[in-house]
Amino acid sequence: MVFYSVFVLLWIILAALPWLGFSYGVVWIFLLAVSFTLALSYDIVGGYMGYMNLGHSTFFGLGAYTTAILLNQGFNLFTSLLAAFLLAAFFAALISYPLFRLRGAYFALATFGLISLIEVLTVNLRDLTGGSGGISTPPGNHMLPAYYMVLGVAAATMVLSHSVARSKFGLGLFSIREDEEVAQSFGVPTSLYKGLALVISSVPASLVGGIYVWNMTYVSPESVFGLEIALSPIIMAMLGGTGVMIGPLVGAVFITLVQEFLWTKVPYFHLAMYGTVLVLLGLFMPGGIVRTRWVKPFIQRLGLGEAVEYFKNVDAERMS
Amino acid sequence: MSADFIQLLVGGILLGGIYGLAAFGLSITFGVLNVLNLAHGDFLMLGSLLSYGLFVWLGINPFVAAILVIPAFMVLGVGFYLLLLKPIADKPPHQLLVASILVTLGASLFIEDITAYFWERPVTGISYTLPPMEVAGVVISSTRLLVLLFIFALACAMQLYLKKTFVGKSIRAIVQGREGAKVVGIPISRVSALAFSIGMALAASAGAFYVTLFTVTPVMGIPLTIKYLCVVVLGGLGSIVGSVFGGLILGVAETLTAYYCGAEWAPTIAFVLLILILIVRPEGLFGAKK
Repeated sequence: MVFYSVFVLLWIILAALPWLGFSYGVVWIFLLAVSFTLALSYDIVGGYMGYMNLGHSTFFGLGAYTTAILLNQGFNLFTSLLAAFLLAAFFAALISYPLFRLRGAYFALATFGLISLIEVLTVNLRDLTGGSGGISTPPGNHMLPAYYMVLGVAAATMVLSHSVARSKFGLGLFSIREDEEVAQSFGVPTSLYKGLALVISSVPASLVGGIYVWNMTYVSPESVFGLEIALSPIIMAMLGGTGVMIGPLVGAVFITLVQEFLWTKVPYFHLAMYGTVLVLLGLFMPGGIVRTRWVKPFIQRLGLGEAVEYFKNVDAERMS
Repeated sequence: MSADFIQLLVGGILLGGIYGLAAFGLSITFGVLNVLNLAHGDFLMLGSLLSYGLFVWLGINPFVAAILVIPAFMVLGVGFYLLLLKPIADKPPHQLLVASILVTLGASLFIEDITAYFWERPVTGISYTLPPMEVAGVVISSTRLLVLLFIFALACAMQLYLKKTFVGKSIRAIVQGREGAKVVGIPISRVSALAFSIGMALAASAGAFYVTLFTVTPVMGIPLTIKYLCVVVLGGLGSIVGSVFGGLILGVAETLTAYYCGAEWAPTIAFVLLILILIVRPEGLFGAKK
């Protein structure tokens, strides 16, 4: 229970932040919450189910573009956001049929290709999307409402992720990650669950995409389908630790802090640094920060030990 | 059948041969190591740049360069294997998958970013041409024909190596079953290192041909790897003949799309083909049904 009280307290502090005069902090938390939501929603497919969806930012971009186009048509924000997440969910359902015929690394690479496909489409369909120049939405200062909306979506995603992990559906996802054939023979409707997981994970991503573009009032293919947007949520989830709800949070805070201090000092080699982080993660720490020897006892004291332990037992079993 | 169409077809087949050669390398490394090397396209890029460098500074003919890059990249391949892939090779399947994606994707980003820093402007191909020749009223560039012959010879040599020599047979044995290969006493780690370096050398060699025909940019690695994925899935996972045919199909499809729909649509065709084959025939054209 300690964990939930900490979270509620954290959210109250964050909600009070704009009234305490931290205007730079508000922008910073806004971006952090966007990345965190992306990382957490990625983790439903990537962490719980074990399918690395490198194309998660496609949903973010789809949400952003749909919202921007509809806002320019004169629709209000809520209609646009509704349309954005319906479209993204529909797209996820559509694409899940062919893509889930691939497994493992092939799935990861194919989803990565999905981003470039959608990017080429947005560049080529100039009449709809404004081509490579992007589109601007009606201007205005939406920082404060956008901030609260993103906080709301992030909190809702946490509740969603938590309830998925506790449900029978979540158990099905875990079993798919451990062994798909065995899961299937035990009666888990794997195809349905895989599609459903992708649809569920697409919703928060498209919503924050919409809110993000409403606040920034500009969207271009580069800004939503770029490599850094695609990779940073995944790196956050992996660095923090996949499959545990606190993992993406730890990763998101860590990466955003590093970006804050390192990116401004070193103008070059951002991607190379991401690459080095990825290599080191893969070689030495595939379980993420929350599963390292020093952090784990602390996480267990927060009442989240179950998920961390769960992984360890499974791995120990397979090693023998 | 107009002359234009035949020109297009020849161009497509040539591009397809290059794709096939590199995808063949990807297929070998995946079969032996169970690791999909996401940095494979970057080795083609590096091979192209090396061959370009050899041509510009030392005046070495691209066909000789395509041979010269092979030993260079085999050494690099062994280094890559020992440094990055051997430490993770014995992990259980799910961890191996996650670790291998992280490591190879990270390596790919690292290579691309460093290369882009030192190589700012794109390399616009080597201007190396032989006099064109005329066959049945169609003018065909003899450089292209020679490249095609070279690729064909390399693929045949590869196939012979895998079928006839002892080491080649042990590579195929590992592809068929790692445990079984271990039981009969094949040194898995050493053969894996060799197979990985062969895969990389094939990619680099394909790169040496690529630069004679197309523009090379430092960031083309990941899109190329995605194309190889399409080729490998199209031909059928683990089938070597399949990856060559898959490459030819993709090459021709891309060239025709670029001509009839405009060059900006060419990058989409690989993905469309991938989706189509996954819906119609998920095991690939030459793959065995599971």
